[in-house]
Amino acid sequence: MDNILSVLVFFPAIAGLLGFVVDKKSARAYGITVAAIEFLLSLWLWFSFDTANAGMQFVEMIPLIPDFGVNYYLGVDGISLFIIIMATLMTLIGMMSMSIETDVKNMIITLLFLEMTMVGVFVALDAIIFYLFWELSLVPMLYIIGAWGGPLRVYASIKFFLYTFMGSLIMLVGMLFVAYVYHNLTGVWSFAITDWYALVLPVDYQLWLFMAFFLGFAIKVPMFPFHTWLPYAHGQAPTIGSVILAAVLLKMGTYGFVRFSLPMFPDASVMMITPIAVLSIIMVIYTAMVAYAQKDMKQVIAYSSVSHMGIIMIGIFAMNAEGIGGSVFQMLSHGIVSGALFMLVGIIYDRRHTKLMSEFGGLAAVMPKYAVIFGIMLMASVGLPLTIGFVGEFLVLLGFYEVSPIMTILAGTSIIIGAVYMLSVFKKSFFGPVTNEENKKLKDLTPRETWSLVPLVAIVIWLGVYPKPVLDPINKSVNAMLVFMEEKAITAEAKEIIKVPQSVTKAGEVK
Amino acid sequence: METLVYIALFAPFAGSLFAALFGMSERKTFVGIVGSALIGLSFVASATLALHIWQTGEAIHVTMMDWISAGDLHIPFGFVVDQVSVTMMTVVTLVSTIVHIYSIGYMDHDKSFNRFFSYLSAFVFSMMILVMSDNFAGLFIGWEGVGVCSWLLVGFWYHKPDQSREENPSISPSWAANEAFIMNRIADLGMLIGIFILYWNVGSLQYDVVFAAVPQLSGTVLNAAALALFIGAMGKSAQFPLHTWLTDAMEGPTPVSALIHAATMVTAGVFLVIRANPIFSMTPEVSYFIAALGTFVAFFAASMALVNRDLKRIIAFSTLSQLGYMFAAAGLGAYWIALFHLAAHAFFKALLFLGAGNVMHAMHDELDIFKMGGLKRVMKWSYIYMGVASLALAGIPFFAGFFSKDAIIETAWNEGTIVLWAILVVTAGMTAFYSFRQVFLTFEGDARYTEEIDYFKDGKHQPHEMYGYVLIAMSPLAILAVVAGFGMNAFEHFVTQLLPDYHMSEHTHHIAWILGLVVLVFAVGGIALAYKKYYKGLKRDEALESSWYYKLLANQYYIPNIYEEFISKPYAMISDMMWNKVDLKIVDATVDGIAKFLYKTGDGSRKMQTGNLSNYLNWMAVGAVILLVVAAISAVALG
Repeated sequence: MDNILSVLVFFPAIAGLLGFVVDKKSARAYGITVAAIEFLLSLWLWFSFDTANAGMQFVEMIPLIPDFGVNYYLGVDGISLFIIIMATLMTLIGMMSMSIETDVKNMIITLLFLEMTMVGVFVALDAIIFYLFWELSLVPMLYIIGAWGGPLRVYASIKFFLYTFMGSLIMLVGMLFVAYVYHNLTGVWSFAITDWYALVLPVDYQLWLFMAFFLGFAIKVPMFPFHTWLPYAHGQAPTIGSVILAAVLLKMGTYGFVRFSLPMFPDASVMMITPIAVLSIIMVIYTAMVAYAQKDMKQVIAYSSVSHMGIIMIGIFAMNAEGIGGSVFQMLSHGIVSGALFMLVGIIYDRRHTKLMSEFGGLAAVMPKYAVIFGIMLMASVGLPLTIGFVGEFLVLLGFYEVSPIMTILAGTSIIIGAVYMLSVFKKSFFGPVTNEENKKLKDLTPRETWSLVPLVAIVIWLGVYPKPVLDPINKSVNAMLVFMEEKAITAEAKEIIKVPQSVTKAGEVK
Repeated sequence: METLVYIALFAPFAGSLFAALFGMSERKTFVGIVGSALIGLSFVASATLALHIWQTGEAIHVTMMDWISAGDLHIPFGFVVDQVSVTMMTVVTLVSTIVHIYSIGYMDHDKSFNRFFSYLSAFVFSMMILVMSDNFAGLFIGWEGVGVCSWLLVGFWYHKPDQSREENPSISPSWAANEAFIMNRIADLGMLIGIFILYWNVGSLQYDVVFAAVPQLSGTVLNAAALALFIGAMGKSAQFPLHTWLTDAMEGPTPVSALIHAATMVTAGVFLVIRANPIFSMTPEVSYFIAALGTFVAFFAASMALVNRDLKRIIAFSTLSQLGYMFAAAGLGAYWIALFHLAAHAFFKALLFLGAGNVMHAMHDELDIFKMGGLKRVMKWSYIYMGVASLALAGIPFFAGFFSKDAIIETAWNEGTIVLWAILVVTAGMTAFYSFRQVFLTFEGDARYTEEIDYFKDGKHQPHEMYGYVLIAMSPLAILAVVAGFGMNAFEHFVTQLLPDYHMSEHTHHIAWILGLVVLVFAVGGIALAYKKYYKGLKRDEALESSWYYKLLANQYYIPNIYEEFISKPYAMISDMMWNKVDLKIVDATVDGIAKFLYKTGDGSRKMQTGNLSNYLNWMAVGAVILLVVAAISAVALG
């Protein structure tokens, strides 16, 4: 299959269209089948992926508007490959565990469209195509929050939409300007990211463009102080919306930094290390504290999401293979773990119709299976070794230590304060005597819930014990990117800070 | 031999998984039996390995598979069995086996029996990873693993509600579990930083590579690495100021206290210092700090044990105090003596705890020694065991503690650190006093529980001795507590093949008997004082108990209260403020403010569209003027 990427992008959308004619009662089964096929396709992509090759693979290129250099241009490398697999996996799992009873058919169709846009963002190699999917992804999510959300759903969905939309408009301006500069320098128009990589820009251009892209990405991540849309969105979104939002949509922001900002503006990126690290550290500590103050279980997970995204941001700006590789791995880890945690919160919400921790207490005695899975995810979330959460966090902090020991210590407090709020959630909800009458007869996990969560538990442990199959391809592509950034950087400072692993430099010398 | 390494490591893991299979079903005795057998298997493998290394003197190094590799970082799952790790493995698995068997009896009536064994075996597995790993990252896996198992086991009776600090100083099992985990995490950050420092200066985390590179590293780097690693050690080994979790951890079932919070996990910090001795011996300042802190903690903890009334907390303070001794030895460079005391302490302290468990089992979880007394009549064997353990702890010749603790005190003299020596000697006296205060109050004198507790009235719940098989299972510990000291020379010969040897100077050697005598005078004095005051039963001394220093000690110098008032509460308050005041009122309100402003301007400017042509022309003129001005300014500015 040469055009597997196109299939991956458009299969869910076409299936979604066909979904309109599917009977309401079988909509759910239909959706799960489609999502399962899509997931298998993405696995097939992984098996046919050449792990020895660090560059773009499965490249497809069809000119769309040749005069302006807009092409339908797709490809994957080690960095995007696993995010795509995670997106298809989380869509499938989310659909399997979904407890929504109203308008199931519409939800399934919306999710399938959302899946198209998510995969599209991560395979796009043309800035216009990237932008198109980036913006399109807002629409299904807007609909999910607005139609299935809580009482404040309209406010939350509009806030989510307008906020992120504004950021991406500024990013679009940045993209147009890069294309303009490219045209000025080479005489041809191109929106291909790989063409843009070759562009060596003066430092002041880099800084301005960095800022334009930064706004778009930072709001999506969301970085402090642009994060306030997220708690509202999570607070109002149905479980499935939160799962996809936390697991995949936020990763678009951090992925954008790796795909665009770093390789295109290496000097500006190096100059921005300190401000971004400061923001990220604030994000890590401040939102962890805010998470501790929450009374609503889901809000804790929402704020903890922001806190963990801070770790990912720091890793990206470590400018070495350990940090960036760890960061990409942490994106996957955060996707799986926070997705699972949102599903777990959804499970108790379905039973009690409340998420307030003061309503619970002693759940471990009533729902032991639920408590075990929650406990495993909690441990992954606080970065326990041999769970998926450790590998990324460890590499990120290790990587950033080379840049700044002091800031690493500050960011490292996340392992302490992360434990503080997560353990507090666990204690308030699961420990102590069962005081509330309503909790005494709660049913433990149903088979459907169990089978949605067990694969995630398996992944959490598998990739914690043996991350190599995932980490190796990521590492290879990150190394290639670093080599390229170091060559391209024009300031001495950037050349100094961007650190190509010695193993790569040595291998190069031998050749 | 490689197979044996894997058996020693993975048998406990198999036991844990096996027990987990039955985790949610009702109590099944065979789960405990299988678990104990698998730990026993691990012990046999460890002991065989120890014998092998004893005979050949060669370490066994196995690499199972890669774990993490990114950039230049390569971390394998590698295990090294050498003189140091095999000592730890043998001690850990031996105590674990006994504690497992003991638990079959002790947890007899607990409905979560199977779950208990799953956690307990998982702990042993983590501890084995900790001691066997051949690199710092692998050590960290075990380090965190034991932390989680400790969290699970301290909070084992999670259903108990929170109480006020006056009712229960540890508030509740789940509170104590969280406290332990979080305090350890604070230290773990230090440990991680130490790992990062080593990685960026050496390029590897393998012990052999790092230790080989130590001579090339600068003093600053070594000091920073040593200090950061020691901060990690301070958490696990509960050194001041991260010590409060250890006594609170006594909320866990007693076998857990014996295994985790006395014999094995808490010694992990000491093990780290011993393991990383090539680093610590290059950093005299940090090492001296370790010794001084250890000495301080030895005294500090012993002082709190003097007045405590809680059977388990007294032993916990004494553990803390003995850990201080171990750090004193390690800090002064006598690594093998520290390791010897670690092993000897594991035996007699586990014995002491298990004996206390017998008492609790008999007394229906009563812990206040003021409400006991006279138990020797019904619990002869437990009395003997606890008596032997206390004699060993007090350092009475020729019990195990006599050799190991004396060597530490002698080291302090030999290094010329007279102040440390004096403190350690006084502490030895205090140790003897509180140990026998506890033993006498529990077993001697008249029974004080009759009035207080209803056991005797219904006739069914008389205090009773522990099951026979449990007492038999405890006997190896008792024997070791008596005889372990005689293996000191052989032990020195064995471990100093790897660790730096430490000899007393000629001068110290000459006066060794005087030094020993001084310590002995203090120890015997302590016992004599305890005998005088408590052998005939408890005589409350109201004046003493209401004095300020008694209260200060009984309230642990008010440190838990200080932590609560100045750390926990402010943290909760600031968090709340961050959310309600900053996040909602400033950050979010600004965003909404900007949005509202844009909306209002849009709404306002809509009024311009009146449909009136002359109005439009006016606006057009305004616009044209503004454009002209902008053009003029930019023309001037850009020149």
